[in-house]
Amino acid sequence: MNQALVTVAAGAHYPLDRAALAALITTLPGLRVTPPESDPPPRVLVWDPGSPRLDVLPPLGPDTALLLVVGAMERVAMPLGVAGLFSKDETPEALGIAIRQVARGDEYLSPTLALALLEATGSSVPLAAVDPRSLPEREQEILALLAEGLSNKAIAARLYLSVRTVEGHLASLYARLGVHSRTEAALLAVQRRLAPSN
Amino acid sequence: MTTSNRTRLAVLGTLADLHREPLVYDLARLRSLATDLAPDLLCAEITSDAWERHDLSAATLEVREALAPIEAATDIVVVPVAASRKSYAEFLPANPWRRTLVHALDRLLRWGGRKASRPEAVNGVLFGAFCHTVCWLAERLWTAEQRAAWEAQNRAIVENIVQAVQRDPGRRVLVAVQCQRVHRLRSWLPAYHELLEIVDYREL
Repeated sequence: MNQALVTVAAGAHYPLDRAALAALITTLPGLRVTPPESDPPPRVLVWDPGSPRLDVLPPLGPDTALLLVVGAMERVAMPLGVAGLFSKDETPEALGIAIRQVARGDEYLSPTLALALLEATGSSVPLAAVDPRSLPEREQEILALLAEGLSNKAIAARLYLSVRTVEGHLASLYARLGVHSRTEAALLAVQRRLAPSN
Repeated sequence: MTTSNRTRLAVLGTLADLHREPLVYDLARLRSLATDLAPDLLCAEITSDAWERHDLSAATLEVREALAPIEAATDIVVVPVAASRKSYAEFLPANPWRRTLVHALDRLLRWGGRKASRPEAVNGVLFGAFCHTVCWLAERLWTAEQRAAWEAQNRAIVENIVQAVQRDPGRRVLVAVQCQRVHRLRSWLPAYHELLEIVDYREL
């Protein structure tokens, strides 16, 4: 059983950034670079806005996930339907992991961006009725790692579990906590002191 | 446990230090093979202590230069299963003539590795029998303590593999170990048939 290649389009505000991004993705295993307008459309569009404006973003089909590549401190106008935010301070290999995560229909948020987001939205998310400390031990462990800003792959690697198993635990703990995103879940974990807040 | 919850597991023999040589089954081939198989878990020969410290200095060549880079760039999760840093090549008897014979058998194994340099051949019946015979002869030249240590190492690897399967049942697991261990692992792992199903790596 072979893993199907994930089709990825690389885009950027500046042609040089676009070429560099495409060249990098070509070197990552399991990914195939295609033009944004290809038919069928790419599974993932990796976009480096290069500037705070996103007015040159190509139209996206319903099956294409958008992964934005941003600087840690950049303030980017956020288009609808962003599946992931990838920080430029991550490694090239982590980009491959982020692309695969959004290609599977999940969200991706780089650790530094997750922490910045938690700080920015810290007081605006209501506490869940269910205390995260009442979750099964494995789910508490995964929630604590999620709150540290780890990706699904990094959590899986830390616990020696498959990525699919971590995704299953996340779906279960979201349902138990009544949250709809990893950011909400992470914030709850920080609020309930399951994870450090810095 | 139902049949559908059983883990599918394949044992892939690697050529250890022989991967340094210009073979068809080189490290690039091993990298692309493991990436294409895309197992959920990849059991590799490195101790958990070294893996968690990101210390690849004592890891086998294939872990250092092929399998660890795969984990960094894909969804495959590496599970360290080695119990000790001591490699097969370090099992050398003190007796000079026995040591000379072990070196000669090692050269014979390397010759065989060069002749059967494709993964299909290295993991096939002929090379398997050849490798098992040469290793069996070499092990007869070791001391009883060395044989016991090698046996214990392989038993510990099997236990670590079984623990990984129990921790995350129903997944696809590729075990990449030097070819000298393959025979033992393939004969011991079926004892855990309630947990796992051994398959050919091409059918993983």
